[in-house]
Order: sequence, then structure tokens, then C-alpha cells
Amino acid sequence: MSISLTASGKILLEGECPHEEAEQLLQLLLSTPGAVVDWRPCTSAHSAVIQVLLAATPPMLGPPAGAALARWLHSYMTARGK
Amino acid sequence: MNEMLQQFLVESRELADQATEGLLALERTPQDADQLDAVFRAVHTLKGSAGIVDFHAMDRAVHAAEDLLSAARAGKCVLDAAMIGHCLACLDQVLQWLDTIERTGELPQACEAEADRITARFGAALGEDAPASTATAADTAWSRELLARHPGARAQAVTAVRHTPDPECFFHGEDPISQLTALPGLLAFEAGSAAPWPPLASLDPFRCNLVLAALTQASAAETVAHLRGCSGTCEIIPIALELPGSTTTDLPAEARELLTAQLELVRDGASSRSFGHLASAAQTAANVLRSCGRHDDAEVVARLVAGGPQDMQQPLQAALVNVLAPEAPGMQMALAAPEPPAAPLRAETTSRTLRVDAERIDSLVRLTGELTVARNGLAHLASLAFREANPLAAALKARHAAFDHLISEMQRSVLALRVLPLRVVFQRFPRLLREISEALDRPVALKIVGEETEADKAIVEMLFEPLLHVIRNAMDHGIETATLRAGRGKPRAGTIELRAARQGDQVMIEITDDGGGVDVQRVRAVAAQRGVAAPEVLAALSDAQITDLVFAPGFSTAAEVTALSGRGVGMDAVRTAVARIGGRVSIHSMAGRGTTVRFMLPFSVMMTTVMSVEAGGQMFGVPLDTVVETIRVPRSSLAAVGAARAVVVRDQTIPVLDLGQMLGETGSRQDTGDATIVIAAFAGQRCGLEVDALGERLDIILKPLDGLLAGIPGISGTTLLGDGRVLLVLDVAELLQ
Repeated sequence: MSISLTASGKILLEGECPHEEAEQLLQLLLSTPGAVVDWRPCTSAHSAVIQVLLAATPPMLGPPAGAALARWLHSYMTARGK
Repeated sequence: MNEMLQQFLVESRELADQATEGLLALERTPQDADQLDAVFRAVHTLKGSAGIVDFHAMDRAVHAAEDLLSAARAGKCVLDAAMIGHCLACLDQVLQWLDTIERTGELPQACEAEADRITARFGAALGEDAPASTATAADTAWSRELLARHPGARAQAVTAVRHTPDPECFFHGEDPISQLTALPGLLAFEAGSAAPWPPLASLDPFRCNLVLAALTQASAAETVAHLRGCSGTCEIIPIALELPGSTTTDLPAEARELLTAQLELVRDGASSRSFGHLASAAQTAANVLRSCGRHDDAEVVARLVAGGPQDMQQPLQAALVNVLAPEAPGMQMALAAPEPPAAPLRAETTSRTLRVDAERIDSLVRLTGELTVARNGLAHLASLAFREANPLAAALKARHAAFDHLISEMQRSVLALRVLPLRVVFQRFPRLLREISEALDRPVALKIVGEETEADKAIVEMLFEPLLHVIRNAMDHGIETATLRAGRGKPRAGTIELRAARQGDQVMIEITDDGGGVDVQRVRAVAAQRGVAAPEVLAALSDAQITDLVFAPGFSTAAEVTALSGRGVGMDAVRTAVARIGGRVSIHSMAGRGTTVRFMLPFSVMMTTVMSVEAGGQMFGVPLDTVVETIRVPRSSLAAVGAARAVVVRDQTIPVLDLGQMLGETGSRQDTGDATIVIAAFAGQRCGLEVDALGERLDIILKPLDGLLAGIPGISGTTLLGDGRVLLVLDVAELLQ
């Protein structure tokens, strides 16, 4: 499982996040409104997962470990979240 | 015909051939963006040349093909077999028109209707897609907005992409964001929603609601290739790079003027002006931009000044060009693809090659031939001088050696001028094979190996017909039907391999199929039935010799005559044609595994190596490649067989012909002493030629017989000897018949 809720109440995205986990991420975001998403350990995320983040616009903690995510999505998403 | 029309014919043929070759390659590898570009360039140039000679019908027809290719390059459609078929049909029509022009010297009369037919095919093919190639400015507004949001990327951006994946795409295993962020040369990326995001609680995480946009440095074609297979819609637009001043922008005219002036200052001042000048130009530009509300751009320019004097000129110039670049490219953007770089390409090729009339080269070859004769004359003189102990003999001999060396060198270079790669003839086959394969409904893949192998022009040009016969035969009789193949555990599609290689002085071409092989029993039966050879002869022949009978005149094993082959002239004609240029054909077959037909051809038809012999007081040349050996036997060992004679050599009985008598010499020989016999072989048959004396080995340039001499049987040509005598070169194949 690469998506989890930490003890401190952050949603943690780790390693590779496949499309099946979009549902779980959505549930976590719905159940803990305002939670910070920490995707620093995340190396890659499927479009479905990113779509949930785009729709929910949670505060993001980054940059993620994956180069493409860091370069093309993190700054874009944090800028958009502002 | 005027020169321009001649040039047009030559070039158009080349272009049509290039395009055809490319299209066939595309059929195999539809993803190959470079190949698509190459085809597009060829077709585009072809259209241009039609315009130059005012050939409107051709212009129209080729334009239709160009439109389709252009849509394919822009990713608006993917070329399928049918579309490639339309393009090939169009090129076919063009070639027919070119033939008509060559015949009549004028543009064809009834071409408009033919052009209509071609354009109608394309119209149907493009169908709904057609309007897409004339997209309106509104369709491309997103790309301008995208550029505006990423001013830093504009200088390098070549292509804008907007991808709206299919909502169901996640179920098909697609990951559009990863795919787009992996684009080569990506400069900017955006991800948005197609429909506004719903409240989080009602979001379906497995339905894709994304719209992705990107700017990249890669060409449209590369981008298309990268995104091929994406679901949903994918808009790929090349970004027109325009020089400032050509189109309107949203900058007021005065602002543009000021900015252009600054740009000129910066451009001109590359080295002479100080940092201060550049800085003030930049400051002015920044102020102008700010006053027009272009704060982002103003910021970029202002930052350059803040960066200090190092290398400021280049980035400043680039930034100003960017700012002045048209914001509303309008219809230029609507063009599906940028104009191909045809002009520079042409300049590059013309500077390295020279187009020379084949006639001129042939006359050079003839002259070199004369020079060889003159050299042989000099050799004769040198040996005369030597025999008479003339003091000049040594000097003459040395001169001759130098002369000899130079002429040999020259001969080689001149003959190399006539050399063509076999590609010239091989490249016609993929296309033909495709047609035959369709007609017979037998899927076949053609593999070509060694197409760069070179041979004399005359040989390359005569090869097409014989090779076509063999390939048709392989398709018709060799390759089995798909179902039969499946039953035999072979891949459904057959393979025909066309392989060429240089082997010493010869060029080898092999046509191999992986079909059923030659049915030896059937060949034996048919040969007996058609009286190709006597039954007792047939009974004595080995399987390999029986297989060779397919080359016998009047032989065909096809149960019915098809349009392709089976008229019983094919293989016979092949052997005759190949023999005419001094080559040989053989066939090797393995039952159930396939058949190989091998051509062994001389590298050059102009140069022949012969052995000179004397018979009946006359010199003859025997082509060295037909000579097996020479023997001396006591005349008593020649046995009379009926009216003829034969000799037994190593347990083989070989018929012996008296060369002098055969060629009209009437004097009779004495029956004592030794007989000198040249044993020659052709097509597996051996024969002894009795001669008076053996001469030497000569490299000659053979002149075909013409005029009154043309009909002499058994002689293939002549050459002049050093002492002025004429050497008649024997046609062994004809003598043996």
C-alpha cells in the first residue's frame, strides 16, 4: 500500500502510486478535510491519482522524489493551490 | 521536347520512386515519423515541379495525396493500408502521365478526368477529417493562450499539444500524464479539467476528466509519433515562427515600432556597443511593454539588465524577437505542418552529384575500348622490337608497361561510371509483390539483402524481367496458400528473400522462397508428357537435373495458366536473358522447405576475359568462364559416334566438335598426331572443341556484331587484336545447341 494516513494526520504517498489507489486517496481526502498531502517519497503516480489531487487541491508537501512529478506537476500544483 | 520538360520527367520519376519506396516502408512501420516526413517531402516537391511545367491535373492529383500525408503528419489521421493504396495509385497515375509525356513530348490530353478520379479517392478517404486540415483560428486559440502563459518557453517551442483523453482511458491502461510528461523536449506542461471538477464527494476517480497541454521543442511529427495510440482527441499544432512585423499582434503599432527599433539597436550593436547601450535599449523595451500591460514580458527583459553585462546581447535579442512574434498567427497556424525543407536538401545533393547522359558515358567506354586496342598494338610492337634486338626495345617495353598500367586504371574508373546499385531494380519489387500477394491472396513478406551491391548498368537494367519471372513463379508455384502453410506448421505468411552479393568478378543474386519446393515427380511426369526430353534420358537424370528442366523451353508445371505465370515461357526466357549477358541461372530445391534460384552474373558486360584459340587459320576467343579445361589427346582416342566424334575424359563421354569445320572451314584434318581440345561447359552440358592451337588469356572489350555480321550464328562479338587482326568471340551456348 503506497498511500496511507500518518499518525500526524498527513496523507503520505510513497513509491509508485498505481491507478487502483486513486479511490483510496479520494476516501482519505474526504475523511480528513484539510489534511496535508506529503508526496516527497513518491516516485511516480498514475494520472488517476494525480486527477484526484487536482480536483481536491489539498496543500502539498514536496517536491516528490520522481523527477517528472517534481518538474512538471509539483510546482504547477502548488502554484495552482495558492 | 524542351529541356525543362526533360528535366521535369527525370526529377518527377525520381521523386515518385522515392515516395513509393517510402510509402511501402511506412506500410511496414507506420510509426516511422522520419519516413513519413520523407514521403511528404518527395510528394510536396513533386507537386511543386508539376506547377513549374503548368501541369495542373498532376498538380491537383498530387496535392490531394499531399493533403492526406500532411494530415497524417499532424496526427489528424493514421495512414492505413487503404490510404497508402490511394497514394500509390496517385503515384502510379503520375508515372503513367510521365510516360505519355515522354512518348508524345506534350502534356497528356485526357488527364483532367483521371485527376478527378484520384482526388475523388482521397476526398472519400479524408471524409470527415477533411475540414480538420483547414482548422480555423478559433481551433488554435488554446495554443496561443498556452504560449502566453509560458513566455519563457516561446523561444524554443516548436509544437503545442492539447490532449483530451477518453474518459474511459484509465480502464484501458492508459496513463496520459506520464505519457505527456515524457514527451521529448518538453518545455511546459499543464493539467486541467475537461468539465469543471465536481464536488469531491461525487468525483469518480476512475473516469478521466483531464485536459493536458504541453509545449515542446520536438517537431510535430515526432510528437505525433510519441503520442500515437492515445485515446480521445489529441491536437498537435506546429508553432509558426514568424519574423516580427509580418502579422498583427495585440501590441499597438507605436509600441511595435519602438520595440523593433530597440531590437535593431541590439542586433546591430552586437560588438560595437557598450553594455550601457544595450541596457538602455532593454530599459526602453521594458517600459514600452509595461505601458502595454505586458508585465510578464517586461519583467523578463528587465531581469536581463539586472543580470549584468555578460552575454546580454543574445538573450535580449531573443526576448525581443519573442515579444514581437505574432500573437495571432491566424491561418498560418492552421496549416497542419510546417513547409518541408525541400530547398536546402536539393542544394546539398546537386552539389555532390552530376547527372550525365548515359550516351556520353557509353562513348567514353567505347573510347577506352579503342585505347585498349591501341595498347595491345603497342605490346605487339614492343615484342617485335625485342625479337629484332632493336636498341629501343627496352625503352619501348618500359613505356608500354606504364601505358598498360594507366589504361587498366582508366578502364576500371570508366567502367565504374556505369555501375549502379541493384537497389535500382530491387526497389520495384516490394510494390509488385504487394500486388501479386493481394491478387493471389497469399500473404508474403519480401526480405531484401545486399541491395547496395553494384553491377554494370546494362546488367542492372536487364535484371527486372528475369527477376520478376522468378518472383512470380515463387509466388504462384512456390509459396503455399495460408491454410496449407498452417497445416505444414509454417508461419502463415510466406517469405521471399532477394539477396545480392559480389563474388569476385561476379555478382550473385538469389531468390529464395520458403514454399513447398519443386515437385520433382511432377516435373518428371510433365517433362515426359510434353516431350521436353526422351523418356530414357529422363529416367537417367538425377533429381537436381530434373529440377533444372524447369528452364527447358516449353516447360510449365502449372495446372492452369494464371495471369501471373505458368505460360511455360517464364523460366526458359529467364535463362535465355541471363545467358545473353554472360550469366548463368541455377535452381536448388528442397522438398517442403523451399526453392532458391541463383543468378551468377558478370560484374561488367563490357569487359570479357577470353582464351584465344586458333582454328582453320583464324583466331577465336572462347569466354574464359565457359572453359572447363584444355586437353591434348592422341587423335586415335577420338571415337566416332555416328557422324560425330567423342572423347572419354575421366570416364565421361564428351562430344567433340571441330571448331574450324563448324565455322565454315572446309579443309580436312590429318588423322594422326595429337588433338588439342578445349572442353567448354554451358548449362550443365559439356562439349569439346577441337582447335589447332591454344593462345593466351586476354581482357577485351567486346563489340557486339552489327550490320552485315549481325546474323552469324555462334559468334557473340568481336574485338581487335594488337596486330590488327580481328578476334571473333564464340557464343558457346549457341554452339552447343
